[in-house]
Amino acid sequence: MASIADFAAAQKPIYHQERPSKTGLLDWLTTVDHKKIGILYGGAGLFWLLVGGLEALLFRIQLAKPDQHIFVGDTFNGLVTMHATTMVFLAVMPMIAGFSNYFVPLMIGARDVAFPRMNAFSWWTFFAGSLTINASLLFCGAFPAAGWTGYAPLTTKDFGGTPIDFWWAGLTLLAVSSMVAGVNFVVTILNLRAPGMTLMRVPVLTWMMLVIQFLLAFSFPPVAVGLILLAFDRTFGTVFYSTGMGGDPHLWQHLFWLFGHPEVYVLILPSMGIVSEILPVFTRRPLFGHHAVIFSGVFIGFVGFGVWGHHMFTAGMGPIADAAFASTTAIVAIPTGVKIFNWLGTLWNSKMTFPTAMLFAVSFIPMFTLGGLSGMMHASPPLDLQQHDTYFVVAHFHYVLVGGALQGLFAGFYFYMPKISGKLLNETLGKIHFWVFLAGFNITFFPMHLLGNHGMPRRIYTYPADAGWNTENLIATSGVFLMTFATLTFVYNLITSLKNGKDAGSDPWDANTLEWMTSSPPPVHNFDFTPVVLSERPLWDHKYTPGFEIPVPEKAEEIHMPSPSWKPMWVSASAGVIIVGLLTFNGIAGIPGWPLCIVGAIGVVLSVYAWVTEPV
Amino acid sequence: MSNAFRSFRHRLTALAALALPLMLAACDEAHPRDAYAHPAGDASEISAWFYNLYLILDTIIFVGVVIAFFAAIIKFRKKPGDNTLPEQNWGDSRLEIAWTIVPTLVVLGITVPTLGGLFELAKRPDQNQKIIEIDVVGKQWWWELDYKKEGINTGNEMHVEVGTQVMLHLTSADVIHAWWVPRLSGKRDATPGRNYPLNFRPKEVGSFDGQCAELCGASHALMGIRIIVHPKDGPDSYESWVKHMQEGAAKAATPEQEAGQKVFMNKGCVACHTINGVAELAPGSRSRTSGPNLTHVGSRDFIAAHTLKNTPENIARWVKNPQEVKPGALMSNLGLSDQEAKDVAAFLSNLK
Repeated sequence: MASIADFAAAQKPIYHQERPSKTGLLDWLTTVDHKKIGILYGGAGLFWLLVGGLEALLFRIQLAKPDQHIFVGDTFNGLVTMHATTMVFLAVMPMIAGFSNYFVPLMIGARDVAFPRMNAFSWWTFFAGSLTINASLLFCGAFPAAGWTGYAPLTTKDFGGTPIDFWWAGLTLLAVSSMVAGVNFVVTILNLRAPGMTLMRVPVLTWMMLVIQFLLAFSFPPVAVGLILLAFDRTFGTVFYSTGMGGDPHLWQHLFWLFGHPEVYVLILPSMGIVSEILPVFTRRPLFGHHAVIFSGVFIGFVGFGVWGHHMFTAGMGPIADAAFASTTAIVAIPTGVKIFNWLGTLWNSKMTFPTAMLFAVSFIPMFTLGGLSGMMHASPPLDLQQHDTYFVVAHFHYVLVGGALQGLFAGFYFYMPKISGKLLNETLGKIHFWVFLAGFNITFFPMHLLGNHGMPRRIYTYPADAGWNTENLIATSGVFLMTFATLTFVYNLITSLKNGKDAGSDPWDANTLEWMTSSPPPVHNFDFTPVVLSERPLWDHKYTPGFEIPVPEKAEEIHMPSPSWKPMWVSASAGVIIVGLLTFNGIAGIPGWPLCIVGAIGVVLSVYAWVTEPV
Repeated sequence: MSNAFRSFRHRLTALAALALPLMLAACDEAHPRDAYAHPAGDASEISAWFYNLYLILDTIIFVGVVIAFFAAIIKFRKKPGDNTLPEQNWGDSRLEIAWTIVPTLVVLGITVPTLGGLFELAKRPDQNQKIIEIDVVGKQWWWELDYKKEGINTGNEMHVEVGTQVMLHLTSADVIHAWWVPRLSGKRDATPGRNYPLNFRPKEVGSFDGQCAELCGASHALMGIRIIVHPKDGPDSYESWVKHMQEGAAKAATPEQEAGQKVFMNKGCVACHTINGVAELAPGSRSRTSGPNLTHVGSRDFIAAHTLKNTPENIARWVKNPQEVKPGALMSNLGLSDQEAKDVAAFLSNLK
């Protein structure tokens, strides 16, 4: 039987397209290739990670000492709001979307996602949303300042300024982008798997991506509704969130957290998936309790829809509702524990090596555990009444999102970049990145537990010198500089590796899954032939288990690839025009913005028509 | 010694270097708002009890995970030159069942008492006892405190009695705020259009500080609270405070104070502030409640909701340019001259 490499050399299969791909910049604007869209998402995520980090650095400087006057009042609140909004929606989520775009089709042996143009539409809508949110700095000279949770009535016309309009407008676009992406990837994973890839043979990372796509598709609608109600309140004078005429500010909290809690799992599950892919490779054995890890992720996804009220224990829902949400929240500890134990089980009796990817993946385990354990405390209402909205909570979710989600994504970058660029990242710089970052974030976030215990609420721009919060705040701020240095080292490493990195080859880590079977970077059509999957670890068994070689076909197949298209961008741009019209509906500087809504609506109709009639 | 051991030792050193400043931080400062170390009310005692329970449990779990973790990454490294594969093991159902059932039992074990504590905190206090009831209205960025039964209206500094049940009714006049004085009770949102109770029984005499805990706009950081817990009897008792508060405002005695009163009445202060006996609250009108009732403002420890110490200099600074002290403050800058501000400060400081 011919080897895979021989087949590639001999056959040189040529895919065909209705219209050839463009080149240069035009290629990036019109591409529907999941790999290119993945790179766009990942690049945007990294850019906003730096912006969000800069925002954090600025407000941590303000908090380094008591009674400072560098960023006060709504300037500080704006930095806090945009730090969280940026990190959640514009940094971590697009990085996840980047991995999901690039690797889900490769891991399941597909040629692209199920709806390539919808995928491009998701990206361009995300792009429009990210610009809209931040545009308030340009047009109003201020950031939205109501917190990333945007609790009404602080966001209503009476109390929130024009930047809030940019906030709901941008978030609405991001919500559309995520819902579309969710549907697209659910269909992709369920329908485009290679022959032989049963659901239990789907890699854990892809499984976690499947779970979060369901979460995106079902959790964004409530917040989108909430945002549209807010837009109506602000633009047309409705009173959904104002008490004067029968509205209720709690409506927003329920709609927001019904989205917000599943969102937390959207942020963490992919990193759990990445860790579950990396550990087996560098321990050189299968993931311990592979099925248990998958089912725990699915279970977390389901339970995630029933726990949102634990964000509202102080809101006065009443003891019955509090008791219900406390109980459901406590349940989350069980599948999370199962995952942690299985990762430890994978390490046990293995033969580990520690490249940077593995360092980040293993350090995920204790750091995430710490964040999870402090989370158990908040699940207990008698205790949460003290901890809610304090720095203890800030410490908790940064351990989960930085020690967990971000470390997982860093691990993913070191592990998967060689596939994307064909070049290995520098290991020395990687180790500097890892150790400095690990020290930096513990120095920053661990003292915040103490600050919370000592009574410091979150989102305060200053504090008195005699409250007993001076030392911990100074330590926390010093850690941010270490994290900044580490992250810049990483970006430098990433950029220089593109030019100077060692060639990776197709399978630099001696890995398990299909994406390592094809060249690095993969060709446009991903695989020269459709792989037939015979086990949970198709590539590992191909290499090490006699009788499980991936069969190489005699002849090349006909490969049809989707054509480049402008239409997704047109639809996104038209939707953006509608949003800008709503945002300026009653006029800016005397010029009413509502005609833009009509222009945008016509644009959407025409470009959708052009989209559906365009030959692929 | 092996490489593994050396690098483990390095890591321990790194951990120690990390932990040291934290431990120092914990030791060298007083923490006047620490609810867990020094609870001073029955509600915060319940929270502190749960904190200690969860802390012990979390520590046991975390230490267990960390020991297993370090044991694994030290023991199971690939030896140089060893290219054999480890056992290709996909898991163990007995282990999976064990580490599903044990956490389930732990979760059950802590959720049952948690629900008990939750209902204990939500219990309506026995009505056949002395209860100090106070209506609390959160406003950007101060707290209106209304003792309906006693006929006292004041702001920001709440006076209660040790050992006596306190029942707050929390609401808000604008956005959502949250009432939080850590050592006395957990927090509770003050939501516009809603009215929520918060019950606690102070157990210690003294002054307890806290602040708004829900982002409520530009000066959210400067929306402080002080609760003064009085002894049951003696010259400083709660009852004598009530009596004092029920008296009208002190008369302006010096020419400076009289000038200050004129400024207060003529320059616009009176549009938002009540002073019993000087600028009364018209029946049915709420217009003189947009700012705190100043009848006994001179007896408060702080002004501007725990932002400045209550001295004549600070009052002058505050009334002259409120936005300089509190960003976005709703109190107008009335363009007072230095002399006018000084006079007003003298007048207000006299309102003991």
